[in-house]
This record gives sequence, C-alpha cells and structure tokens, in this order.
Amino acid sequence: MVDPKMPTEPMDPPYAGKTGLVGRLGAELWDHLWPWSRTGFQRQRAIQAAGLALGLAASVVWVLAAMGRLDAGAIIGWWFGWSVFEVVVRLGAKPYVKEGPWWGAAYRSATLMDMICYVSFKNLLIGAVLFLSLKSLGLVSV
Amino acid sequence: MSALAALRNLALALTLGACAGSAFANSYEAHLPPELSTSPRMCDYVACADVMPGADSFSERKGQPPYVEAYRSTDGGKQLLGYVMLSTDITDIPAYSGKPVVTLIGMDTTGHFTGVKVLKHSEPILLLGIPEEALVEFNNQYLGKFVGDNIEIGRSRPEHDIIGLDAITGATVTVIAQNQVMMLSGGEVAKQVGILKPTIRPQATFIDSGARPGWQQLVEDGSVQRLTVTAEEVGLPHRGQPYIDLWFGYLNQPTVGRAVLGDGPYNSLMSRLQPGDHAIFIVRSAGIESFKGSGFVRGGIYDRVQVRQERDAFTFRDTDYFNLYGIAAAGAPAFSESAIFIVRSGAFSAAYPWKLVFLANKMDKATGAKTFANFDSEYWLPGAYMEGGRPEIVKPDPVWLKIWKERLVTIIAFTAFLVAIAVVYSRRDTLVRRSTRKNKWPVNAFKYVGWVISIGFVGFGLLAQPSITQVLTWFHALLFQWQWELFLSDPFIFIFWWFIIITVFLWGRGLFCGWACPFGSLSELLYKLGGWVGLKRYQFKLPKPLHDKLKWVKYGVFFGLLAVSMFSMGLAEKLAEVEPFKTTFLVGLFNRSWPYTLFASALLGLSIFTERPFCKYLCPLGAGLAMPSTFRWFGLKRKQECDSCKACAVGCGSQAIDKDGRIDQRECLLCMDCMVYYYEDHACPPLSQERKRRTKAGLPLTPIGADGYYIPIKPVATAK
Ligand code: SF4
Ligand code: SF4
Repeated sequence: MVDPKMPTEPMDPPYAGKTGLVGRLGAELWDHLWPWSRTGFQRQRAIQAAGLALGLAASVVWVLAAMGRLDAGAIIGWWFGWSVFEVVVRLGAKPYVKEGPWWGAAYRSATLMDMICYVSFKNLLIGAVLFLSLKSLGLVSV
Repeated sequence: MSALAALRNLALALTLGACAGSAFANSYEAHLPPELSTSPRMCDYVACADVMPGADSFSERKGQPPYVEAYRSTDGGKQLLGYVMLSTDITDIPAYSGKPVVTLIGMDTTGHFTGVKVLKHSEPILLLGIPEEALVEFNNQYLGKFVGDNIEIGRSRPEHDIIGLDAITGATVTVIAQNQVMMLSGGEVAKQVGILKPTIRPQATFIDSGARPGWQQLVEDGSVQRLTVTAEEVGLPHRGQPYIDLWFGYLNQPTVGRAVLGDGPYNSLMSRLQPGDHAIFIVRSAGIESFKGSGFVRGGIYDRVQVRQERDAFTFRDTDYFNLYGIAAAGAPAFSESAIFIVRSGAFSAAYPWKLVFLANKMDKATGAKTFANFDSEYWLPGAYMEGGRPEIVKPDPVWLKIWKERLVTIIAFTAFLVAIAVVYSRRDTLVRRSTRKNKWPVNAFKYVGWVISIGFVGFGLLAQPSITQVLTWFHALLFQWQWELFLSDPFIFIFWWFIIITVFLWGRGLFCGWACPFGSLSELLYKLGGWVGLKRYQFKLPKPLHDKLKWVKYGVFFGLLAVSMFSMGLAEKLAEVEPFKTTFLVGLFNRSWPYTLFASALLGLSIFTERPFCKYLCPLGAGLAMPSTFRWFGLKRKQECDSCKACAVGCGSQAIDKDGRIDQRECLLCMDCMVYYYEDHACPPLSQERKRRTKAGLPLTPIGADGYYIPIKPVATAK
C-alpha cells in the first residue's frame, strides 16, 4: 500500500533518529558534501558513471577551451560533469531526499528527477559560493 | 575551431532563418576594427560624417577625454562644423547586457547634437523582439537638442526644466543607460571646447590647527585616500600584486599639506601656485602599472589620471606637474612613483567631494579587444580642516532610485497584489472548506481576479512578465559582473522575482504559475472562457501516459537554453523565443513578424481546447521553477484513501496526480480543486461513506478535521 501523503516512499537515512541539534546538522552537512556511502558503494556502477561523466565534462571543457574561455568555462564544465556523476553516485549510495521543511527530518526515496533537482540545486549553491570566493580571491578571472 | 564555428554559424543561420522577416539586428555584437578605439585617426575607421552631415574632413583625436573636430571645406579653407566623439572613449556605463553600447555622437559648435549612430551593442532585447530601429528612433530624439539641457527618459516637465524623451517600451534599462552615455559624452566634450561653462563652486577657507598628523592619522581622518585597481578588474590574470595601488590627497590645506610635504616644501609649493590653483599629490605604493604613463600621448596630457567633481573633469598637462620627492608624514608607505598635480580651475573647490579617477584599458578575454574602463575613489576634505565644516550637499538620486520614486504608487499597488495572493493562498484551508465541488467560487473568485489583474495590469500594463532570459542574465551576471543597480532599474521584475523565490520555497511553483504568471493566467483563462462559451465538448486532455512523457520536454528546453547560453548568450536569447511572452506582452501580437505572431496565437488558440499546453510541455521558466519546487516546504494534503480513489486525479487540470494518488509538486499549479474535494463530504468518497453511515445510524456529523476526516465521536463517560 502506497502512502499518497508522500510524493515517494518514505525512507530514512542512516542517521535518522539522531538527536541533538549539532549531531543532526553535522550529519546533514556531511550528507550534502559526501555523495558516497559505505553500504551503497557500488563499484561497477560508479566506475561506469565516472567514465561517462568525465567524458561529458571533458567535452564541455574542451568546447569552452576551444572558444578561448577556459578559465571560468572550465570550472563550469567540470562542475557540470561532476554533478552528473554525483547524481548517479547518489542514486546508488544515498538514494533519498528530504521532504517538506528543511528544518524537518522527513525523508523519502528519490526518483531520478528528484535527485537531479537536488544535486543541481545544491551544486548551484555550492558552485556559486566557491566561484564567487575564487573570484574575490582573484584566483579565477573572467 | 573551424568545425565548431561552422556549427555555431549554422545554428545561428537556422534560427535566424526561422525568424525570417524580423528586423535583422545589424549592430548586435558587430565586429569593430580595434584601431577604432586606439588610432589617432578615428574617422579613418568609421564614417564620422554620418553623425556630422556636411563634414568632409576630420582632425585626429584630441583632448582628454578625446574627440575629433569635423570640418567642411570652403573656398578659403576649412570651417569647423562641430565635434565627433566615440562614447566608449569617454564612459564605460554598461547597458542591460552589462556591456556598453558603442555610440558615435556628433555635436555642432553650439552644443546641439547633429547625429547619433550605434556602432555596436550587446542588448538581447534589441536582437529580437524589439527592432533595432527602435533604438535608432530613440537616438533621433537627440537631434537638435542642446547638450546642456536636462534631458531625461520620461515625460517633459517644463516646471523643472526637464526635457523628456520617449523610452522604448520593454527596453527601459537600455535607454536609461543610453541617455547617460549621450549626456555624459556630449557634456565632457562641450566642457573641453568651451560650450558648457564649468560650475563655479564656493571655495573653502582652511583652518591651520598647527598639528602635524602622522600618515596613519591622515588616512584615518580621510585626508589621505587610497585607490586600488586589481589585475582582474582590468581583465588580466591574477599576479599577486595589484594593477596599481595609489594614495592621494589634497595639499592646499595647510595642516594636511605641511604634514605630507613638510614645512619647507609646502611653503615653496604654495608660493608657486596662482590664486585658484589646487595641488594634489599621488604616490604609487604598489602595482605593475604607472599612473603617469610612459609618454604624453595626446598633446602633453597625462591620460591615466584625472580629477572629477560632479560633472566637471580636470585633466593635467605637463605644465601642471611638479616633482614630489618625499613624504614627511611619519609612517607613510614606500612608493615607487609620485607626483604633485595642479588643478588650475576656479570650478574646483576643496570644500566639496571630488574623485581621483584612474583610466585604464580593460582587456576582453574572449576577443582580446581593449575597452576603456575607469576606476575612482572619493575624497572629501574632513570638516575639521575647513571653517564651518563640510557644506551641505544634496547628492542626486541614482537612476534606479529615481525610477522607484517615480513609480512608487504603481510599485505599491503591484506589491500589494502579490502580497494579497500570498495571503489568500495561505488562508486556503478556510476557502476550500467554504467551496464545494459544484461551487468553487470562494477559491475561484480570488484566483480569477488574480488572473485578470495579472494579465491586464501586470502583463499588458507593466510588461512585468518574468522570463527565462532573466534567469540566464543573472547567471551570467553572477559569473561576470553583478550589478544590483541594473536589476533594480526594473522594479516590477525585481519585486516579482523575490515573490517567486520566496513562494517557490514555501509552496512550490504553483502559486506563481497558477495564480500570477501573466501568460499562464491568460492561457488558463482562455480555457475557462472556452468552456463557458460552450466549447466544453471540444476540450480535451492528453492521455496520462503521453502527458507523462511530454512533460519532460520543458526540462530539455530549460537545460538546452542554459547550455547554449554558456556558449552564446545571443543565440540563447534568440532560442528563448520559445517563450511567447515577448510577442504577447512586450511587443504585442500584431507588432511582430508573422512567425512569432503565429506561434503565440497558436499556443493561445490551443489553450482554449486544452489547459495550459505551453505551461505543461514547453515553458522553460516553469521547468526552472519546478526543479526547486521539489523541495517546497509545505505541500498539499492527501489521505491514505487517495491511493485507490481517482476522483481528484480525474479533476486535476494539471494532470499532476498519479495513479497512486500522489501529487507531483513539480507539475501541480495549486488550483485547489483537489483540496476542495479533500474536505467535502459529498465528494470525497471516504468522507461521503462516513457521512452516509452516520446519517443512517443517527449519529451527529462532527466537523471535519485538518486530516480530512470527521472528528471522531468520543463517547463521554457518564457518571455512575
Ligand atoms: S509554466 Fe511558464 S507560462 Fe506557465 S504559468 Fe508557469 S511560468 Fe507562466
Ligand atoms: S487538482 Fe490538486 S494536484 Fe492538481 S493542480 Fe490542482 S491543486 Fe494541484
């Protein structure tokens, strides 16, 4: 019997039920930054995904480089390629997303689209922060 | 590269071919000869006579900022007709694209504009949508106008001496920037050639406190200022040290002057100044560039630094330069280049703020072309050094603030509209409980009013239709140059986007798409009207399996546009014509060439028969907003029985409810139909059964709780 109240089946991350604000925030932060998990590590799949994603990233970087815009373009290209890779890795290792308020602790299993939305949104934020700080440090120029 | 370029050109040609009949944008990203901005003989590279009718010869570039003189041959020799200037020699004010509109401007000897020609622009809106002729027409409004007049975009206001120019609908930001460029460029040259008289400012009377402040103290109280330009700011790779790092200050003030120079040099300097002369010093403490330059390029003028006070610019000639051998103030930084410059003009006054401007060339990475850029730092002598302190000054409002002030009432009305929608939606529980399957007016009255306002007032009135092109523009602004002013200069779009961002996170994209998007509202209103006028039997929904496949198309469109914009913003803007918004609201259905009109009309026509076809399958903006909607905080309510009951799913116009009764929050447009069912005991099967059961058993019908069920009847323990 499915639960229509959730967009997909409820599913708990390993750290579900962790009490204490610091512990939970720490676990969530780790979750956002580290897509792999010991239990879900599927070697074969990850390697295949890596090959695919790296190929994709390399082509984007290559095209940008060919247009003489390597600096910022290369970063975006690699970041995009990495995101594709991360989606595949996460679907194998951490196939869940949060449901409802971000301060809540309800999780559900992720469909491919859920994962794409999660990774692209998260990586857009991380990318923007990294990119802007690199830029303000003068390490990347556009 | 060649294969790539060929591909790109092919794509471009195809798109342009598809847009046959549109005004071909010929100065969009036009290639200009690099010599145009560097050669002394500017008019060899551009037809200067276009902006100075009757001229047949032109001088070399002269002055700072530079201009050329235009002559007509007469029997006896040459007659000076006026002046021609290249806007990017004078200012780097960017237009909407973040890049300046390169404009050639002609002005006669009396300061009246004789011609304006756009050589190159990067404005996406003028590429397609609004024909470039609109900009030409806009520019033609300057012909014959005097450079010293107060010319602004908007209505003429004779009582304030303001001459108004008609803006280009939908390209306000571009024309505001263009007006600044015109007035600034014309004004600079007019002042150099004596057409405009410099402003005369009252002079300061200095107080000599007798103290000798150290360097640190001078920096802290503001009588020494710093101007740093980094390598990245001029398009060079990071080098670990700035492009140039300057310290500067005003020397006539005795306390400051003596502290910086020491008594002897100060007295000697002052004895060499004429009345009305002002001395400033500049030292370079770090950097790879020189502020004096290696040679006097144009007529013995130092072309890398100047002083500006409001609209007056003061440049330095070789005769305005004195050596600065050392700084007396204790704790001054070591320096490798130094100068004392004399401002020789009664227009300058130390009592008012001024700026030291460093003029540089910025290298465009992609093209290698050099463009002009300037950097400045403000200086205002501290009040303690002047009798009576600093005078009161009224700084003019920045352009964006003027727009906000002028449109304040409309802005308030628009904001109130958005707030009202959000408030109504947050009260949805009350509204849906008052509605029934047959009478949804408590919800629909609000929604329909919302649609009408959104179509008429927001869409056609304010032209505030959010669009994917804005998302692309921000994305690029984030990468290249983020300017709040630019976004603030369109207040409605600015506010709308805050509304969108906030509500997407609260409730998902449905509130914007379903209630406030002008095109979406128009589309669904047409569908409703179609039903009301008797076309109901022709109205249809695509079969769910097909819908479930086609709904992905919009994400493809979204990612496609994002990817293309990385390579060519221009091409992405053209492809963004998949949004019929420009045609519908910005330009008008009947003002565009037929392919656009046909496309937009076809979508709207189809909307009469099927609900929101564009929103469901094509809209890249909808797709872009759907993605973060995955993580909206507050979803809609469902009950366990929804898994087998199909009542809501059948009624859902967005086809957002799947066979298990789950709502796809990326597709749901928050129409509230299913929420009406949720609370209605004549519609929702579990409720209806319970109602019948209780009625039969003679039990009371308790109110329906937030969980969508009758509040259970609890037997009250009776006293024994
Ligand atoms: S899907 Fe697009 S057109 Fe439709 S309502 Fe949303 S933003 Fe507007
Ligand atoms: S019926 Fe329900 S699920 Fe469907 S669009 Fe309306 S509110 Fe969303």
